[in-house]
Amino acid sequence: MSVAMWAPILVAVLLAASGGQLGRRLHPAVAVPLLTFAALATALATGFVLAVAAFDAMAMLAPVAQLGHWSAAAVRPGGPPSVLLGAAAGLTVGVLLVAAVRRATRLGVDLGHAVATCRRLGPDADGLVVLRDDAPDAFVLPGVRGRVVVSTGMLRMLPPDERRVLLAHERAHLAGYHQLYVQLAGLAAAANPLLRPLAREVERGVERWADEVAAAEVGDRRLAARALARAGLARAASPADSRWGLALHAAGRPAAVGARALALLQPPPRRRRWPAAALIAVTLVAIGGAAWTGSTTEDRFERAQADYAVAP
Amino acid sequence: MPGSSGRARGALEQEVLGCLAAAGRPLTTAEVQAGLDGHLAYTTVMTALTRLHAKGVLTRQPAGRAFAYGLAADMDEIPASLTARGMRRLLESGPDRASVLASFVADLSAEDERILSGLLEDRAHPQDGGPA
Repeated sequence: MSVAMWAPILVAVLLAASGGQLGRRLHPAVAVPLLTFAALATALATGFVLAVAAFDAMAMLAPVAQLGHWSAAAVRPGGPPSVLLGAAAGLTVGVLLVAAVRRATRLGVDLGHAVATCRRLGPDADGLVVLRDDAPDAFVLPGVRGRVVVSTGMLRMLPPDERRVLLAHERAHLAGYHQLYVQLAGLAAAANPLLRPLAREVERGVERWADEVAAAEVGDRRLAARALARAGLARAASPADSRWGLALHAAGRPAAVGARALALLQPPPRRRRWPAAALIAVTLVAIGGAAWTGSTTEDRFERAQADYAVAP
Repeated sequence: MPGSSGRARGALEQEVLGCLAAAGRPLTTAEVQAGLDGHLAYTTVMTALTRLHAKGVLTRQPAGRAFAYGLAADMDEIPASLTARGMRRLLESGPDRASVLASFVADLSAEDERILSGLLEDRAHPQDGGPA
């Protein structure tokens, strides 16, 4: 197994340890796309090198070599040190692939529900759906033309200027395709659990991103923070029954409302270069490792097939 | 952008809907104007109301010399599964859901509550401790 083969796995470990930190040093509008790209590329690269390792191990078995017309002995140098390690890689990539497919299926079903709900809500008048419900609630329903859903309970809780913040925040989610980033990063994390911190950072990042857009639109960061505070406290004060769905995974949700409000009380985040450059560089190492592995493996098998042709 | 004070496309219409929904009763143009953020021109608000009425989102009835606008009645006829609660149940119940809903505010920790309460109190006494 060459160094290149380990590169994507090392990158995944590195991103698990520091990707979130790097992301938090960036403006959320930069962090979210970059982290999503890093997560996707690394997940694909890791899956690829694991699959190659598994294939290598199988190729060393005499019957398989016979079938593929290559010399088992010639495959070995550069391949995995043992069949066992290759088998472990194969098992891992199999389990991860199943996890990714399950996640994608779940996502498809949930998005289908969301789109069907959008359709039942009737023609898209203004992207805003007001529901008569005393429990304060507000969320974005994704779809081809997603909707901002707000309960009358929430609208009544907020003064006009803070209502404006809430609506601007939700519109930012729709206009910026924030769900797409969250779901792609979620898929990457399903395919490589090392990338979970990155996916959480993307979830946190889209909320921060929408907060920043809303604050810029109303031109008052403190007002945006107050809107968050009032909405958050109103929701917390409403009976738990109305929020039981969310409570189930509230613990896994990283977008802590307090931290978001505090961030709005600070000056707007600066657009730094080096954390972005570091993220891109690390991701390129993962991609490079996978590409190098692919090309050297191909060469190796070509040689092994040539050897087989000479002395089967 | 005079009149709409830097609002994004469709923003004013959404705010008008939010204002009427919060009021829970029909409002005149002047009342809506007073219930919106910023100093919007009367004609700007009137244009938005007229546009929403033309789309069928709002109903209107004469109120004195003006009109009072209310949300179209079908909001009451929304099926039970289309309440906020119903949508959450449909899309968020279960640990392995893809969680496709993006909530404005998530549940609060004790620490969050402390921060947020402090933030709102600040507003009540904006001059506290500040130099004269």
